[in-house]
Amino acid sequence: MSGQSTAGRKVLSLILLIAGGCLLVGALVLDFMGSPLTFRGTMLIIGAIGIIIGAYLFPTVKHHRKIINILFLFPLLFTFAVTVIIPLVLGVFYSLTDWNGIRFNNFLGLENYTSMFKEPAFIWSILITILFVVFNMVLVNVVGFLLALLCTSNLKGLGFFRASYFLPNLIGGIVLGYIWQFVFNNVLTEITEKISGNQASILSTTSTAFAGIIVVYIWQYAGYIMLIYITGLTQVPKDVLEASQIDGANRIETLFKIKIPMIASTITICTFLTLTSAFKQFDVNMALTNGSGSVADFMGSYLTNGTQMLALNIYNTAISKDNYAMGQAKAVFFFIILAVVSLVQVRISNKKEVEM
Amino acid sequence: MKKLLALLLTGTMVLSLGACGGGGSDSGSGDSGSSDSGASGGGSTLRLVNGKIEVDAQLKKLAEMYKEETGVTVEIESMGGGVDIQGTLKGYYQGGNMPDIFVNGAIPDFENWEGMLVDMSDQAWVSDTDQAYVDEEYGTIGFPYTVEAIGLSYNKNILDQAGIDPASITGPDSLRQAFETLDSKKDELGLTAVVGYCAEVASLYWSTGNHIFANYLDAGLDRDDTTYIDLLSDGGQIDTDRMTDFAEMIQLFNEYSDPSLLVSGTYDQQILNFASGKYAFVTQGSWIGATMTSTDAEAYEAAGNFEVGMIPYTFEEGIDTILTNAPSWWSIYSESENVDAALDFLQWCSESTAQQILVEEAGFISPFKSCEYVASDPFAQTLTDWQAAGKTSAWHWLYMKEGLAQNYTGQVFGDFAAGNLDVDGFVSTMQQVLQSAYAG
Repeated sequence: MSGQSTAGRKVLSLILLIAGGCLLVGALVLDFMGSPLTFRGTMLIIGAIGIIIGAYLFPTVKHHRKIINILFLFPLLFTFAVTVIIPLVLGVFYSLTDWNGIRFNNFLGLENYTSMFKEPAFIWSILITILFVVFNMVLVNVVGFLLALLCTSNLKGLGFFRASYFLPNLIGGIVLGYIWQFVFNNVLTEITEKISGNQASILSTTSTAFAGIIVVYIWQYAGYIMLIYITGLTQVPKDVLEASQIDGANRIETLFKIKIPMIASTITICTFLTLTSAFKQFDVNMALTNGSGSVADFMGSYLTNGTQMLALNIYNTAISKDNYAMGQAKAVFFFIILAVVSLVQVRISNKKEVEM
Repeated sequence: MKKLLALLLTGTMVLSLGACGGGGSDSGSGDSGSSDSGASGGGSTLRLVNGKIEVDAQLKKLAEMYKEETGVTVEIESMGGGVDIQGTLKGYYQGGNMPDIFVNGAIPDFENWEGMLVDMSDQAWVSDTDQAYVDEEYGTIGFPYTVEAIGLSYNKNILDQAGIDPASITGPDSLRQAFETLDSKKDELGLTAVVGYCAEVASLYWSTGNHIFANYLDAGLDRDDTTYIDLLSDGGQIDTDRMTDFAEMIQLFNEYSDPSLLVSGTYDQQILNFASGKYAFVTQGSWIGATMTSTDAEAYEAAGNFEVGMIPYTFEEGIDTILTNAPSWWSIYSESENVDAALDFLQWCSESTAQQILVEEAGFISPFKSCEYVASDPFAQTLTDWQAAGKTSAWHWLYMKEGLAQNYTGQVFGDFAAGNLDVDGFVSTMQQVLQSAYAG
């Protein structure tokens, strides 16, 4: 390349960079000033394109690869920033104010965070969410695994069983919640009335309603977990199973000493999946009980949100009680819990896998 | 070669990025373009967010008529059926996509939009109604479009057959007596239960926690009497005597209600059974008329399209008013470019042509005095009678803290119905729950 054309490119590149930058900044300034000029969007795009072409044309050997890398990563990073990073930062910011979804008047600092832990209803939500997670992590995995064992045996019509166990997972949580609400409130009450004369729906008291949510959740989720276990179980090498058979291992021994250790990584994945999804439980909770149920005395107050789990509590705080900033603060707290739990879980299970 | 490929790829990427972004800005300018051309064509485009999805078709018809008359297009955007309207509006606000006219239900909604709603005090319709929402600081910021009534609805046929004059029910004793009489004649009247009362918590909290609770706040009071709502707003206090009387009435409902619906019924079942003539009373207000004549029309016809009426919830001797109010209002967004056009549209809505559609087709009870149309709604007559007699109280429950029924009081009614609380337990629990609701 001749020196002249390099210089030409440098000039062109610089001009593009500077012009692009100016257009970009100009468009943003116009936007922030609330200008009614409609061409500012086009201006922004042209500015961005100018900068990109300018950066690409910039005559450097040393940094060329780096520039190209950044340019190609840009769309993804940009999308990630717009959909995840910026909302997260904004969310944390709003949680420090008295934002009502429209605007905020005061900067409150950590007031939302301190007052949310003084709210017995919120503490209750945390507790029953944890309880729910523990129940489900165990039950969904056990049920899913048993179903998977069933569906990898030599039964007739396996395809049908697999499909039918998985089917509930294809129905949305809201629809499912309303179907089961009907079952609990109309069908089951008819039956219990015939048997014992008791007409109360199980959704009308907190403890039974909570059990109801667990049942529905297992029904919805076990099929999905089953599919993952089936994949794991079918990948256990045939020669190992054969060898164990020759050595005289019975079915139980094969299950506990061969199959389960061989699918440790699947168990990790499934535990992780059930843990986080149970934590985030929202739709079934909302459709089935909408958080109803009472607790006579918890931390000295009468609670009216007996089956309201964390996600629903956050939603109701923001939407139904119209307290967006508090809801946001709770959501930030929720995010932290989830992040910590997930990290710990992954770390622990990874270690186990290596040992096995 | 490699360089060429890289250039090609970069080019594609830039182009696709440009195309996406360009598409966005195109549609943006397209939007403003259409409204520009609309303005030059003699009219602009108005957007109205309606909170009553059941009258969507009628409002669209109204918009069509308005377009024929004035050339102004009105887009009706209906929400409802569980959609969180205020939440959606807040999203619109953040996205710079605010409608020109939108619905506001409870009073806290108006407070959220403080300073962003147009004061309509100088409009001609204001003097024609006493149902407009008037804010002390910002003037008339809510346009009323219908009136609804909360009262104890009854099936006149059944009361006649049982020989009960609804006018004779004036207090707790006569109410209990009427219930007992009806209960003893249940079989010959074909009743499943005397009263259709549901205290289901998950999806009917609004009936108990808002509408029935409203009677504690307002029944028997003058329209501007704010005694009990003031008490409530001041840290969630209640008047124990009045609440006890109120609780005794609820206890009566618990006793004489349909046991299969009391704790776990749904709105649909409740209204269907009333429309089928299986209950003498139902604890729902005038809005069920629309359901009875549409969804439940067959059952209602089979039951003889019986006449309905309303009596006050007489939990104390001398309570003689039902509660009527505009359940929600239309407000104009002050930063809209079409404020004047929106004002014209609302004025037009209060006038004869529009009122005919709103009353006769949408089944609204007109809040305007000049309106001469009568709705075909079964409850229209009884409502008009009560209004003419001046025996109405206001809906101060609209001033309650947001989410009170859903998150707090609905559950207390549910526990009472399930038998977990007695009358005193109901009062003290209500007291405790309201205090914690107003504290937090």
